[in-house]
Amino acid sequence: MTKWITLGVVVLLVFVLGVTSCASYNGLVSKSQAVDAQWGQVQTVYQRRLDLIPNLVATVAGSANFEKSTLEAVTNARASVGKVSMPASAPDDPAKLAEFQQAQAAVSSSLSRLLVVAENYPALKSTDGFRQLQAQLEGSENRISVEREKFNDAVRAYNTSVHSFPSMFFASWFGFHDKPYFSADAAAQSAPAVKFDFGK
Amino acid sequence: MKLWHSLFFGLLLLAFAGVRVAAAAETIPPFPQKYFNDYANVAPGAVADLNGQLEKFERDTSCEIRVVVYPKMQSDSSIEDYTVHVANAWHVGRKDRNNGTVLFVFIADRKAFIQVGYGLEGALPDATCKQIIDGAIEPAFKTGNYEAGLRAGVAAILTAARPEFKGDGKAGMEQSIRGLIPWIIAVVAAFVGMGILLFSIHNFGGTFYQHHVRSLSFAENCYMFLLNVILNILFSGGGSSSSSSGGSSSSGGGGSFGGGGAGGSW
Repeated sequence: MTKWITLGVVVLLVFVLGVTSCASYNGLVSKSQAVDAQWGQVQTVYQRRLDLIPNLVATVAGSANFEKSTLEAVTNARASVGKVSMPASAPDDPAKLAEFQQAQAAVSSSLSRLLVVAENYPALKSTDGFRQLQAQLEGSENRISVEREKFNDAVRAYNTSVHSFPSMFFASWFGFHDKPYFSADAAAQSAPAVKFDFGK
Repeated sequence: MKLWHSLFFGLLLLAFAGVRVAAAAETIPPFPQKYFNDYANVAPGAVADLNGQLEKFERDTSCEIRVVVYPKMQSDSSIEDYTVHVANAWHVGRKDRNNGTVLFVFIADRKAFIQVGYGLEGALPDATCKQIIDGAIEPAFKTGNYEAGLRAGVAAILTAARPEFKGDGKAGMEQSIRGLIPWIIAVVAAFVGMGILLFSIHNFGGTFYQHHVRSLSFAENCYMFLLNVILNILFSGGGSSSSSSGGSSSSGGGGSFGGGGAGGSW
């Protein structure tokens, strides 16, 4: 009799283990997918900002005597983002994410410098085209900050799941590891330094 | 035995309940009960008219557009940051269409912002919102004529958003009750299923179950536990859109916001 009970208990334990690992795996998969989906959103809003740049450069370059170095900085920053290739799914490597973030931060700072410099060109500022672009740029910055926040939320849910009981036993075995977060831009903390080179 | 069972299930219920508790870092104001809400009382003459217009707009187009005028912004963060958190917390707009828009006005801070949901970003792009703020709202606000500014702003927003979606004549909570029907069916089915199971165990189980099922009170505890779990899932997972019949709603239709829109100051 005891032999049967022991066998029954073992079978039950194996069954429970199977069910738990199934549930854990499915939970981790769905959270990982949520992170990837949100990463897609982040890429979209960053791309949207990049797509505004040619129009902005064209509008500003048309204005008389606009400081060339500022424009060049924006164009170069945009080009350097293209050099950082990002995978379609959310990055696993904190260094890669930091590289991407740095490239985008360079775009942010060059754009904000451009807008600061444009304050000194009232003829440019009052044109409808420039005002529209300014609204679009501000909008894209807002979108970037919202999607990054949602991305961090999705990563937090995923990382918590990876470390929670009972998923933590299965996570590394199935190949689920912590994903990195977006950190606050260091450049955002300091206002851009503006040098006026009217000689250029 | 009975006490132990009750304690055990009680703890499990608490565990489920505790998971749902969320901590808020900013003060999200309570969900506005009307479409046009003048908490600063700067445009009393326009409330009824604009409220009616916005409600009709939701029936015509299914877009949930709300106006909230506060005396002061209750946050230290920037207006774009704060208002998108508030709009997302309120879930303005229909869940499947994300067609919500909220016009925020903060009188003491002299700032306004139009938050646009994902679904209306085509009709109300950032440049259009900026034009509405700069051209329709701000000039009147600068002279202190809040009523005129709000009327002009609402008119401009409605004109821009009108062609985007088609409505089905419903507004507000009438939508959410329809969404609850599958959940109600699931709960009833679970009740009936558990009832049948308990009944059959009790009557047809035979000696095996009388020896191995501890007592019927254990099964009754299971039943109560299942009931509470289902109700928990129903009211936290299924819906911040759930609401008591005929009463006030606690949030909008489930829509979300991506940070689109624009703002300005006067």
